Amino acid sequence: MRVQIIGFGVIGQGLAEVLLRKREELKQRYSLEVKVVSITDISGTAYAEEGLDLEKALSVARQTRAIVNYPGAKEMTGIEAIEEIDADLVIEATPSNIKTGEPGLSHMLAGFKAGKHVVTSNKGPLALKYKELVTEAARNNVEFRFEASVGGAMPVINLARETLSGDKITAIEGILNGTTNYILSRMTREGLSFEQVLKEAQELGYAETDPTYDIEGIDTASKLVILANAIMGIDATFSDVKTRGITRITPEAIRLAKERGYVIKLIGEVRNNHLEVSPRLIPETHPLNVDGALNVAMLHCDVAGEITVVGKGAGAIETQSAILSDIIAIWKKRGAGQ
Amino acid sequence: MDMRVSVDLELKDTPGQLLLALEPISRYGGNVISIIHLREEEKLRSGRVPVHFTIDVPDEASLERIINELEEQGVRVTKLGEVTKKERITLLMIGHVVDTDLRDTIDRINELEGVMVSDLSLAMPHPDKESSAIVDIEVSQGVDRRRVMERIYSIAKEKNLEIVRSLEV
Repeated sequence: MRVQIIGFGVIGQGLAEVLLRKREELKQRYSLEVKVVSITDISGTAYAEEGLDLEKALSVARQTRAIVNYPGAKEMTGIEAIEEIDADLVIEATPSNIKTGEPGLSHMLAGFKAGKHVVTSNKGPLALKYKELVTEAARNNVEFRFEASVGGAMPVINLARETLSGDKITAIEGILNGTTNYILSRMTREGLSFEQVLKEAQELGYAETDPTYDIEGIDTASKLVILANAIMGIDATFSDVKTRGITRITPEAIRLAKERGYVIKLIGEVRNNHLEVSPRLIPETHPLNVDGALNVAMLHCDVAGEITVVGKGAGAIETQSAILSDIIAIWKKRGAGQ
Repeated sequence: MDMRVSVDLELKDTPGQLLLALEPISRYGGNVISIIHLREEEKLRSGRVPVHFTIDVPDEASLERIINELEEQGVRVTKLGEVTKKERITLLMIGHVVDTDLRDTIDRINELEGVMVSDLSLAMPHPDKESSAIVDIEVSQGVDRRRVMERIYSIAKEKNLEIVRSLEV
């Protein structure tokens, strides 16, 4: 299978690493040989008809932070790479943008137009233009999968759509952002203020320098939109979500809740066509009470009852579990060059 | 989602009968709110003593089990009083909860028919800082909880309070 990687940051590099590690296993278990024919980052595109040397690509990216330094690489953009290079599948792993969805949105659409399957971890375009993307993929008769866009390694989209395909999902609740869960867990355990824990999280690299996306609930809202569309068939977009973050949560509020057997968690909820992200009181014994940076989702199914999945919501390597499962699913369904 | 039930029983006038009646109530998750033992009243011709119970039970099914078991044990259930379902909303308020007239906040919630603030705990770290309150609101059967929440959110907006409600609301 000929694969193009667009975006070579944490996720793109993680994929290269896991593909190296799993090369033999993929061949043996699925007769799948993943040939990465091009890698694009903001500096340009490395390209090799017979497949790039991933070890070399990783070391170039890590040392120079620019893939254009790979031998023979060109100043070619992602769109050009998608349009000009022969491949079966595009991995879209550029940073997520919730305002415009770019550059991911254009990459995905270009991929479909070029007749290529697309696998992505990029939630921005999905949260803004889910319907358009899915329609375009179908129109071009290609596969479009995005398990990694929600909950990192935690399998939720494919679980609901494939394993639970006989069920109707009537509601979803979950913790879909590891940073806020880390902050709230730590405030609960140590009795520290929001500001203190946020600062600490930034120093440890758990929170971004600009933590707005996480703490204001924007990241959770984007993921919720994807779940509502992909699992429940609700035609919702980012602006439909009623969103509140965790910036006003105080140690005293957490203590009062605790005295009554509750914890406070930032919850994304879809129910009765209503999408909401807000801090909520969760009984301590409830399955959604997971600690640290973990993610969790509870699916309310009409036959199975409640199904809850817990997993790591981020991580360069962990997220590859989702991306790999999407690649393998496409391989099983379509094989090479179909 | 508790329901409050009033039950009239007739117990045999022998030792240990009250205990016999309490046992199934507690076993099926019932919580006794009050017992009125009508011993002073005219003893029934049957020689039994009427007892009036008010209990909270988790649901209809538990109530049914309790009643069945009582009858099996020879306790006569003479009246199953009007069942008023009671739901509880628990939520946190964060902000200048006291300075924005807590009394007014409670009154405006209680104004809604079938709605009553039944418990409130307050934490005030410092007079200048925002305080937090955890509030229990009892809502009678038939009252639309969304309307209750709408009222609370509109008060919260006006007084700049952050509301954290429980998952099931």
